[in-house]
Amino acid sequence: MSIARPLPAKTTLDVRPSARAWRLARVLGADWRLGFLFVLPIVTLVLALVAYPFGYAVYLSMTRKFVGMPPVFVGFENYVRLAHDGFFQRAVGNSAIFTFGSVAVKLVLGMAMALVLTSPIRFRSVFTGILLVPWVAPTVVTALNFLWIYDGSLGVLNYLLVKVFRVMPQGVGWLSEPGTAMASVVFVNIWRGFPFFGISFLAGMKAIPADLYEAAAVDGASVLQRFHHVTLPGLRNILIIVVLLSTIWTFNDFAIVYILTKGGPGGATMVLPVFTYEMAFGAQRLGDAIAVALYMLPPLALVIILLARYMRRGSAR
Amino acid sequence: MSKPAVTGAQTGLAYGVLGGLLLLVLFPFYWMIVTSFKNEDQMRSLVSMFWPRPAVLENYVQLLTKTDFAVWFGNSAFVAVSSTLVATAIGTLGAYALARLRFLGRAFMSSAVLITYLVPPSILFIPLYAQIRTFGLADSLAGLIAAYPSFTVPFVTWLLMGYFESIPVELEEAAMIDGATRFGAFRRVILPLAAPGVLAASLYAFTQAWNEFLYALVFITNVKLRTLPVGLSSFITGDVYGWGFLMAGAVLTTLPVIGVYIYLQKYMVEGLTAGSVKG
Repeated sequence: MSIARPLPAKTTLDVRPSARAWRLARVLGADWRLGFLFVLPIVTLVLALVAYPFGYAVYLSMTRKFVGMPPVFVGFENYVRLAHDGFFQRAVGNSAIFTFGSVAVKLVLGMAMALVLTSPIRFRSVFTGILLVPWVAPTVVTALNFLWIYDGSLGVLNYLLVKVFRVMPQGVGWLSEPGTAMASVVFVNIWRGFPFFGISFLAGMKAIPADLYEAAAVDGASVLQRFHHVTLPGLRNILIIVVLLSTIWTFNDFAIVYILTKGGPGGATMVLPVFTYEMAFGAQRLGDAIAVALYMLPPLALVIILLARYMRRGSAR
Repeated sequence: MSKPAVTGAQTGLAYGVLGGLLLLVLFPFYWMIVTSFKNEDQMRSLVSMFWPRPAVLENYVQLLTKTDFAVWFGNSAFVAVSSTLVATAIGTLGAYALARLRFLGRAFMSSAVLITYLVPPSILFIPLYAQIRTFGLADSLAGLIAAYPSFTVPFVTWLLMGYFESIPVELEEAAMIDGATRFGAFRRVILPLAAPGVLAASLYAFTQAWNEFLYALVFITNVKLRTLPVGLSSFITGDVYGWGFLMAGAVLTTLPVIGVYIYLQKYMVEGLTAGSVKG
């Protein structure tokens, strides 16, 4: 048959592979070869280090698992028991206070930082650089610095308040007294995190066209009115993204609380990440620990999905 | 005329707030450095609180000669550099593909990368630990090098996607019209243009790996294999050494990131921060 009709056969042979390639390209996309090759490492990584462990964690949370022993399936028992656990309930409350208290103050300080850095001051870029340093310094170093500053007997904070400014008759055990411990750890988280708010707002403010301010000024708007009607609307997206990002990071801050108080005194600063850690490696109850971690997931997932939507919209321009 | 009118009072207020913020930010660092040069006697007696007298180097000397600090420093450097190289290679290729190439599942992958970046370690650390143990990498630096890309790769990828998107497509098309393959255009045209961004992203990844605490605390039990953050924080429970000693360690742990930061500053202020949280 091919001998009888050599010419058409040859043409089909020529055309067939490219038609196949064309069909493949139509389904898989024009650059599918290089595209798949380039994302393969990421896919492998995400599956091996995030997706699979995560799925396994969901399973483990439904087991009774002690370190070094095989897991026993118990269904939702861990979740139910935790819901009635007073320590867990307290950690949930502490995490809420820690997160919202910290994010609210960071928002205010970050806005102040950005406003200062957009006003006509000298050496602006130098000051911008300095104010960002807490954000890049290692968290552990920050926590140790404040552990030392807060120290009850030799710490400089008490020295300043008692000996230099004489506003208090005697020193306070900032981290060892239930009344001050939470505020003290929240302060450290604020100190570390507010520059991120500031630098993001600064970038956002620079992107607001100057003629908007001019128009507002011509219309007789005061400084506060310009801030309210020009700056804030212009910052809307960045504001939402930064607040959501910081909510995730703050909620999950482990190092600061762990180093400063380990959740103490008497559970006064016990937040969920530290609670998870103590449950897993202190009490050696892995199933319970993962159930704690997974209890954090629904609110976090909500924030993450919302945030991903905003960030993708931003990047699509 | 072109700028909104600013009164002297407002400028004064700006300087006032700036002064307050600077004090807030700089004091802990000042205190860390001063403490690291004080000797134990001075610390206990609360004399000359704000300046070391006499200024001594013994904290640094002891730290480097009598403890595992130098070993930990090496561990941190090894882990941070290795995991950064891995993350940069994987992230650059992935970011280019996700930003530029057309293939099935691209949008889904972009979302997956972003969501992975946002999933926090405090949820992931126990399952990841189990996984690292399954690989037989528990209590080894290799385990940390394997685990750190779980946060550095999504981060690098996400940052560089924005960077690649900002490079004009026409440059690549011109190269391909001149006979370059897609890969050739990537390697010879796009990659050199993206080099500053790739470098910046990798330095970011380096500082993240250098500062990481939770995984290193959980995965490593051997004292000699600790990284700096875990080793340093172990001094507080040790009760053997004083605060001058601890602060000397804090200073030395901070220096590398500050060095990286001085280089990175222009990117942080101008470009990448804005790129990563575009409004």
